Amino acid sequence: MKNFSTDVSKVSGEPLGNELPGNELSGNKPSGERSPQPFTSKANFKRLFVLFLWFLFTLWALRVSGTPELNWGGCASIYQFLSASFRPELSPAFLWVMAKAALATFAFAVCGTTLSLVIGLIFGVACSRLWWRIFLPGTVGQGIWMVLRGGLAVPRAIHELIWGLLLLNVLGLDPIVGVCAIAIPFGAITAKVFSEIIDETPAEPLNALVNSGVYPVTAFFYAQLPQALPNLISYGFYRFECSLRAAAVLGIIGAGGLGEQIFLSWQSLQYAEVWTGFYALILLNGLVDTWSAKLRRQMGFVSRMDIARRTNAQKRRAATERNRFFIWGSWLAIALSIPLCFAYLDLGWARIGRSPPFLIDLASQVTPDRVLSALSFSLVPLALQTVAMSVLAINLAGIGGVLFSFPAAQNFFLPGGLLQSVGTASRWGGGHLVLLLSRLILLAARAIPAPILALIIVFGMYPGVWPGALALAIHNFGILGRLMAEVNENLPDRPLRALRSLGASGSGIVFYGILPANFARFLAYILYRWEVCLRETVIVGLVGVGGLGRLMTEQLSSFDYSGLAATLLVFIGLTIIVDTISAQMRSAVR
Amino acid sequence: MTRAALRLESVSCQFGSVVALQAVSLAIAPGEKVALVGPSGAGKSTLLSLLNGSMSPSQGSVQVLGKAINQLQGSRRRKLQRQVGTVYQQHQLIENLSVIHNVNAGHLGRWPLWKALWSLVWPQQVNAARQALAQLGIADKLYARTDRLSGGQQQRVALARVLVQDPKIVLADEPVASVDPARSHDMMALLSHLGKNRTLVVSLHDVVLAQTYCDRIIGLRQGRILFDLPSAQVSAEQLTALYDLEASDLEASNLEGNDLEADLKPSDLENSAV
Amino acid sequence: MTHSRRYRRRSLLLSFCSFALLSSIGWSCGVTQEQGTQAQSPQEQAADATASTQTLTVGAIPDQDPEKLQRLYGILSEYLSEELGVSVTYQPVTDYAAAVTAFKVGDLDLVWFGALTGVQARIQVPDAEAIAQRDIDAEFHSIFIASTTSNIAPITDPTELVELKGKTITFGSESSTSGRLMPQYFLAESGVELSDFDREPGFSGSHDATIKLVEAGTYDIGAINEQVWLDRLAAGAVDESKVQAIWETPAYYNYHWVVNSEAVNEKFGEGFTQEIQSALLKLDKNDPDQAAILDLFGADKFIETENENYAQIEAVGREIGKIQ
Repeated sequence: MKNFSTDVSKVSGEPLGNELPGNELSGNKPSGERSPQPFTSKANFKRLFVLFLWFLFTLWALRVSGTPELNWGGCASIYQFLSASFRPELSPAFLWVMAKAALATFAFAVCGTTLSLVIGLIFGVACSRLWWRIFLPGTVGQGIWMVLRGGLAVPRAIHELIWGLLLLNVLGLDPIVGVCAIAIPFGAITAKVFSEIIDETPAEPLNALVNSGVYPVTAFFYAQLPQALPNLISYGFYRFECSLRAAAVLGIIGAGGLGEQIFLSWQSLQYAEVWTGFYALILLNGLVDTWSAKLRRQMGFVSRMDIARRTNAQKRRAATERNRFFIWGSWLAIALSIPLCFAYLDLGWARIGRSPPFLIDLASQVTPDRVLSALSFSLVPLALQTVAMSVLAINLAGIGGVLFSFPAAQNFFLPGGLLQSVGTASRWGGGHLVLLLSRLILLAARAIPAPILALIIVFGMYPGVWPGALALAIHNFGILGRLMAEVNENLPDRPLRALRSLGASGSGIVFYGILPANFARFLAYILYRWEVCLRETVIVGLVGVGGLGRLMTEQLSSFDYSGLAATLLVFIGLTIIVDTISAQMRSAVR
Repeated sequence: MTRAALRLESVSCQFGSVVALQAVSLAIAPGEKVALVGPSGAGKSTLLSLLNGSMSPSQGSVQVLGKAINQLQGSRRRKLQRQVGTVYQQHQLIENLSVIHNVNAGHLGRWPLWKALWSLVWPQQVNAARQALAQLGIADKLYARTDRLSGGQQQRVALARVLVQDPKIVLADEPVASVDPARSHDMMALLSHLGKNRTLVVSLHDVVLAQTYCDRIIGLRQGRILFDLPSAQVSAEQLTALYDLEASDLEASNLEGNDLEADLKPSDLENSAV
Repeated sequence: MTHSRRYRRRSLLLSFCSFALLSSIGWSCGVTQEQGTQAQSPQEQAADATASTQTLTVGAIPDQDPEKLQRLYGILSEYLSEELGVSVTYQPVTDYAAAVTAFKVGDLDLVWFGALTGVQARIQVPDAEAIAQRDIDAEFHSIFIASTTSNIAPITDPTELVELKGKTITFGSESSTSGRLMPQYFLAESGVELSDFDREPGFSGSHDATIKLVEAGTYDIGAINEQVWLDRLAAGAVDESKVQAIWETPAYYNYHWVVNSEAVNEKFGEGFTQEIQSALLKLDKNDPDQAAILDLFGADKFIETENENYAQIEAVGREIGKIQ
């Protein structure tokens, strides 16, 4: 208990490895207070070095993957597919099937998010440095903390789809497989982020209580958690958006919902039905993203990722009567939809109870000697292909995202926007069209599951690393574009308006005003998504070169669990390496 | 000799190579109102941190209500700490909770965990909190969010928390540092009201306030006690010496404890006039 | 005191929400239990063998248009229910491996498997038995198709398969017997390994997708199920100017019904496996209702089969690594 306060206060000041780029960059300051640094500083040298390193990475990835080869023979098929977009299947019977599927996808997302937040909260507390400092100070606590924190990396490294296929072996055919496949990896990600939020929340009030004789654990729950709660909630909404996309992907292994319907229609080449499914997914994602964004804004969370930014009381907009109605209505809807969704999916909880024999059976097939014999150098080229695919994908997604972040941000092309001359004040004009169109493109790109994209792309491309990389690129472009547009919208506009009034052109404003201010943030988002992209290579492995992901699905379908364990070990190792590189690079560009 | 509420015996406190306190000894009787004065970095905050147990001395012993606080562990230590209430300069409130929860935080030392958590959902002992706030003149803020209050109001909430904690000793770290002169008198009045029947130790910059509201003033400079006198006996020279920016470390280190008025050198006074 | 009023409202809402949450958890648990005892979902049966009503759960590997499967197994379930006097439900599955897994954990009692998945399933469930197959399954073939742009001539003798070296190839599903296992086996017999092809082989996921991809020219060669190929040709769904059949493999045993004997005998009494078998074999194409079922299966009748018929498939599976 000695020197308690000094120990704890150390925590809050320390930047930790991060799931969220936003908090690393913002620190405790709004981004506006950071001015672009002059080109002589050491920070800039570091930044250039990182860029150079990334450039080398990309060159290497291009070498591994070869040049993309288009297959013009596939044009007819692609045309056939695209032209079906104008005549989606709209028969009432099919629409009813789609509506039920959409509801199922939504329910999967709600249940998955709920469970992952519960897991995240429990393990977030258990994995926060602060908790062990007060609960069990000393090396023992530190040791447990490190083990727990490291242990989280394993469930995180395995993609939802692989979790689903594994759980199928233990839980059987039941919606609980889909829910758990979301809850386990997302729970681990949430736990990591929550623990960081808890550690970065100022601990002084906690210290004050502890020093007035309060039991430290009581003080933790009374002072630290409530302070961290708004950020936890804000992150929870973001997780919900992610869960919705994951629920669609899980349909491919038969978890049900829109993903399954689309995949089945695709397998029987019913393009019109596929398009109906796409439209339903786009609509569902659009509604949820819009609602979540509005709720977060009205509750005073500036940006979903800016968790460490201390909420500024003055900045909070005074809640008007209508806002309050919206906020409370939303909370009521959440409170109602959670039980309803659990009831709708009718999860077979009993299956968890009877899973142990299956689990033991599974474990008995994985013996160290078999796993070791499955570990061979033949995995190395596969691992390299996997990394190359993720690097290519994130490059394309990043470039596309930066480009689209401008038209998709509200404060640029709309009347009165930064890139509009002052005076042009028509109520509806080209600006709105550009905004709407670019947002729609981003929405569609992120709503459609990447494996389905890959299946479409392979018609127009010869097999290889490229089709998979392209599918991942499109999906991540949709996500990055939205994140970056939010960054642009949160940019303080005074310096830019000053440039504007100097008579700078639109491109001048972009290159001298916006990019320097947001560049580090963009780069951090790209690096963060790179980690995610690596995990996602697993799900596009079915087309052409799939690297480790392809091997995993093969091993799963051969019931070769020892081989699978070996591949997973390599993949987890790879994920940890990429996480570390990405974290290093992010801290360098900060 | 009556038992002292607080006693320091040749206490030194070091952070790395920086010496915050050096061989400080003092005793404060129950019910005494003491002001700590001195320039920034004199060791006032360190001294208060030692008294509430948030810091341990490098050498010497700190006794609170007759017990050596830094030698106690676990629940016995907490029991003792419960008798020491602290008002921090930065208030250290849980900003996004309502005022009532911050006031109720004063009960936490006595409440079991489940009651503390339940109180966050369904506030307990509302009347006690309302009375405490009423005494401080902000009863209407009971359910307001703490971060929507002004700085002065937040400070009153911090005081209410201590009031609810009901300690025998109240420590206050620069309570008037960020308050305008009129308000600082209000605040000191509240503090001395709070300190009624309690021992009060308050660190201040403003000597006039100290003389008005406290019985005894301790002057600290560079980790040593420069003087320790009843309020009425503190002279202008002593104060000048205390805040003299030019006094060198060497001279200061020659000064010994309470005998310093005899050692005051004319040169110090001259320098201070420049 | 507006603050306090609002606060109380907030507290009330909060407690209401937590109440709703808790009660709903209780409710949803209750719902599951109720359904378990009333409607008899399959998972409950395995755990609760003493219940009075039991359901036979039928499944199939997803090798065809799911809508057709739904229709087919709908009427088959009705037929079996009538014949056997127990309630029968069809449980759709979207993944080959998932069908095997579901059979293993007892979610499916009677499954229409491919040769490979059937063997995999019987290895996982030792008491499982192959009981029936279609007349055509005793002599099943795969077809190699090629895009016309690849200029591959039809193959008359297996030794000519070496000419396929250096081309690109796609299979169907990873666990498909006709769309992957046997084609790969016959290639290997003629000395063509997967590494002899240009790039890695593709896995289109279904026979239809394989045809489309070869038609588009993405891959030079595809390996598919003979039945599907003939079916699509007859329906005019194939652009024969772009894709053609180049070789038919030798015959092998394929699709068959596998039943989890231990589970069904425990549920419905000893000898129930034989009852299922005779119900399947009894299907007669002269009865209009039963003819509809046979027609959807693309067969004239079902014939007996046994585990030993698939020894060759198992050996091939082990050789290729699909069976551990």
